[in-house]
Amino acid sequence: MISGLVQILLFQSIGELVSKLLLPTLPGPVIGLVLLVGWLVLRKGINPELAAVADGFSQYLGLLFVPAAVGVVLFLPQLKANAFAIITALVASVILTIGSSAVVVRFLSKRVSDE
Amino acid sequence: MNEKHSIVEIWVYLSGSPLFALFITLAAYQIGLTIYRHAKQNPLANPVAIAILIVATSIQLIEMPYSTYFEGAQFIHFLLGSATVSLAIPIYRGLDSLKGRSLPLIAALCTGGLVSIVSAVEIATLLGADSSITGAMYPKSVTAPIAMGIAERIGVSPTLTAIFAVSTGILGAILAPFVLNALGMKAWWQRGFAIGIGAHGIGTSRAFSIHPEAGTYASLAMGMNGVISAIAIPIIYHLFNK
Repeated sequence: MISGLVQILLFQSIGELVSKLLLPTLPGPVIGLVLLVGWLVLRKGINPELAAVADGFSQYLGLLFVPAAVGVVLFLPQLKANAFAIITALVASVILTIGSSAVVVRFLSKRVSDE
Repeated sequence: MNEKHSIVEIWVYLSGSPLFALFITLAAYQIGLTIYRHAKQNPLANPVAIAILIVATSIQLIEMPYSTYFEGAQFIHFLLGSATVSLAIPIYRGLDSLKGRSLPLIAALCTGGLVSIVSAVEIATLLGADSSITGAMYPKSVTAPIAMGIAERIGVSPTLTAIFAVSTGILGAILAPFVLNALGMKAWWQRGFAIGIGAHGIGTSRAFSIHPEAGTYASLAMGMNGVISAIAIPIIYHLFNK
């Protein structure tokens, strides 16, 4: 468990360093993620300690953004004033996003299997 | 009188330390999880949404300023970065499923990502929302930890982004089966991938509960969408907001 956490924090720190020094537009943790995928590909496997920590995080991922999302109390008047625009945009956008992704993936995989 | 005084003192002590914020956040999430299980994992009973509702209502009832709450809850918030790094594991596990299907999947990812941004921003602008709201909509189809990182980089509110991302996930998990059935989508991997692009983590857990292959592809889509969006959204945002 601890060794898994050490590996995650190590890659997070490297990511933050790279973000500060070389790639300021990318968030540090995302760089850490990419580097960790690369490392796993090189090593051809995930050690069980790392898998245990990662699975724990992904199981309770939702808990981690509660503190920031509670900040919604500061935006209530603004959200109420724009409620119709926000709800319409979110509903229409999610339907269009899922629909267009599905159509593209089906169309292109048909062509691949025809060839 | 004296007794009342000491209760007030204990209260001041507890609310001053991180203990109260940590307790209320974890307890609210636990309540959310319990309700979610009793509702047979209905996406409407999303545990994150329930937890946000409980905590927001509670701190308003006891008139605790948000900044005081966040000071304590920041220990949970800090772990977002580590959780983002650990998304590498599901991506690595999904890499095998990518073989031979990478072209359709990457093309779908780029299309879905662009459609998500353009449709949300254009519709919200058309209906009169201001730029602080439309700006926070750019990363709404990205998994919340990465979305909030992107929001910070482009200078919009991470809180609004988190709210929009959670709402999008819930809406996507509810609406995806109808959209995909209407389009006559049959292959599980294609259905899963489309859900992962549109509805990130909440859609992915719904996909896993329907079919394991759909879940694997949904989590792969979610991870890849996070990485590509972190690179592309700052560029797109600056193109649209010169």
